[in-house]
Amino acid sequence: MTGVHLVGSGIPTLLPTHGVGTRTDLPVPTPLTLAAAGGAVLISFLVLTLFWRRPRTRKDAGPALPAAVDALVGSVVLRTALRAVTLGVLVGVVVLGFAGPTDTNRNLGPWLIYVWLWVGLVPASVLLGPVWAVLNPLRLAHAVVARLLRLDPADGVRPLPAEVGRWPAAVFLAGYLWVELVLPTRADPPVLAGLIAGYCLVQIGLGCVFGSSWFAGGDVFEAYSRVIGSMAPIGRRDGRLALRNPLDGLDDLDAGPGLVALLVVLIGGTAFDGLSRTSFWQSAGATGPLDGTVGLALAILLIAVIFLLGTASTVATTARDTRRHPPAAFAHALVPIAVGYAVAHYFSLLVFDGQQVAILASDPLDHGSDWFGTATHVIDYTLVGTNTIAVVQVLAIVVGHLVATVAAHDRATRLYPDRAAVRTQYPMLATMVALTIGAVALIGAP
Amino acid sequence: MISSRARTTALRGCLGLLLAAGVLVGCGTAPTATPAAPSPAGATAAAERVIKVSQAHGAITGDTGRVQVARGSTVTLEVTSDVADQVHVHGYDKEENIPAGGTATVRFVADIPGVFETELHGSDKQLLQLEVS
Repeated sequence: MTGVHLVGSGIPTLLPTHGVGTRTDLPVPTPLTLAAAGGAVLISFLVLTLFWRRPRTRKDAGPALPAAVDALVGSVVLRTALRAVTLGVLVGVVVLGFAGPTDTNRNLGPWLIYVWLWVGLVPASVLLGPVWAVLNPLRLAHAVVARLLRLDPADGVRPLPAEVGRWPAAVFLAGYLWVELVLPTRADPPVLAGLIAGYCLVQIGLGCVFGSSWFAGGDVFEAYSRVIGSMAPIGRRDGRLALRNPLDGLDDLDAGPGLVALLVVLIGGTAFDGLSRTSFWQSAGATGPLDGTVGLALAILLIAVIFLLGTASTVATTARDTRRHPPAAFAHALVPIAVGYAVAHYFSLLVFDGQQVAILASDPLDHGSDWFGTATHVIDYTLVGTNTIAVVQVLAIVVGHLVATVAAHDRATRLYPDRAAVRTQYPMLATMVALTIGAVALIGAP
Repeated sequence: MISSRARTTALRGCLGLLLAAGVLVGCGTAPTATPAAPSPAGATAAAERVIKVSQAHGAITGDTGRVQVARGSTVTLEVTSDVADQVHVHGYDKEENIPAGGTATVRFVADIPGVFETELHGSDKQLLQLEVS
């Protein structure tokens, strides 16, 4: 083979890190970064303690968007059309998986799912809000199936118990992460297509039973997009779209059952992804599926313990607002951390391997066609430099933890009297510093 | 209720804090600009780099683990195997068949920075991680 191009040999490629990918980032130089990151969180805490003694988040700030924008976003026709497009792409991915190119490097599916959908959903949701609630193809498929079965699409056959919340999404997310990070055949097009088809059937079935409200907390991608979208600069106020401070949006996130679990699984999964690509992990020979399963479970458990310790001193009995019991009362603070980790770990994947989707889309069947004139393109690795990647990685982690610290502090001032509020945040500070240093250490590890 | 002016000031202060932290961290990261000194694994930062690795009885020996090379150097990867196999350098997407008991040589200019897995397709074993910086 000649030249730097991505045409494979016909043999599916087994990759040691995430679903698919051609490269991983260089280690970020650590000691200075660790000091700066830990210091930034510590200093922010001191400043917050001195100058942020009353809750400052609110629900009524920010200008409303023009009514035309509201009408467009709320349009049932547009929504159905968009979902028809995503449903078409979804069906296409499954068909390509079973009947298309068997080589991962020639098959659009794995790149579209692991890079564009999973990673791309983060910037899309952070900037625009819960986009997947609008684009979710499962909602359209469910509506059609429910009608065919003569079931009520909205109510299903039985009500969804309130205590279920986002628990199903948390469980399905753990399953998704296991596939993405552990399953050896994750990038095999037929395997991935089978998993996607199975997942969709289960989701549509559950949607038929519980009605369309199932998807908000039951479908991984919609729940993920909704939770991350809570910190978008656009949100709903009294039913109308309005610009807002991301901190106000975060504060408005409803902390129902399963929110902590969903976020802890998400952060633990990203942390394990970082760990599994280090030479420390690989030189330990821990590359088998069993090692991966144990590693992923331990990473999630570790994040859970760190977070629960951070909220341990926040006792519900002293809280003014008994409706929000810790640790769920502080779960929203995990959102910016999860977003920061996702950006730090997958920014370069999206920028580089995201190009693969545009390249393969021109010739999805590998028949030599060139629909968009991109079939002969190769991934441009000069799009962003290694220094830019390192700066983005560190900034994402540090800013994520700073926003988290502010969000948790603001919530504490809302829930507890002045001095008690500060006291409850000491363990949270330890949690934030530990998570920051751990995250920076992971992107700095060789 | 806090006046909107006080609130704006506070949020502006918060933003300033974030920016300051960003600058702080940015400074901390600045030294990345100079490529890290090659570790013992990549002792020769010269323009030519030979990496030798072999597979025998299912075990990988030689220049395994993280191998650092300076960006722009010419890498010659020599892979020996007791069974027929195929070597693949990710990212650079170089593939070469290895005959049983023979050696395959892959030669390329390491001009894409990053960490790249290099593996055997037949035995699905990782040979090394090429770190180009």
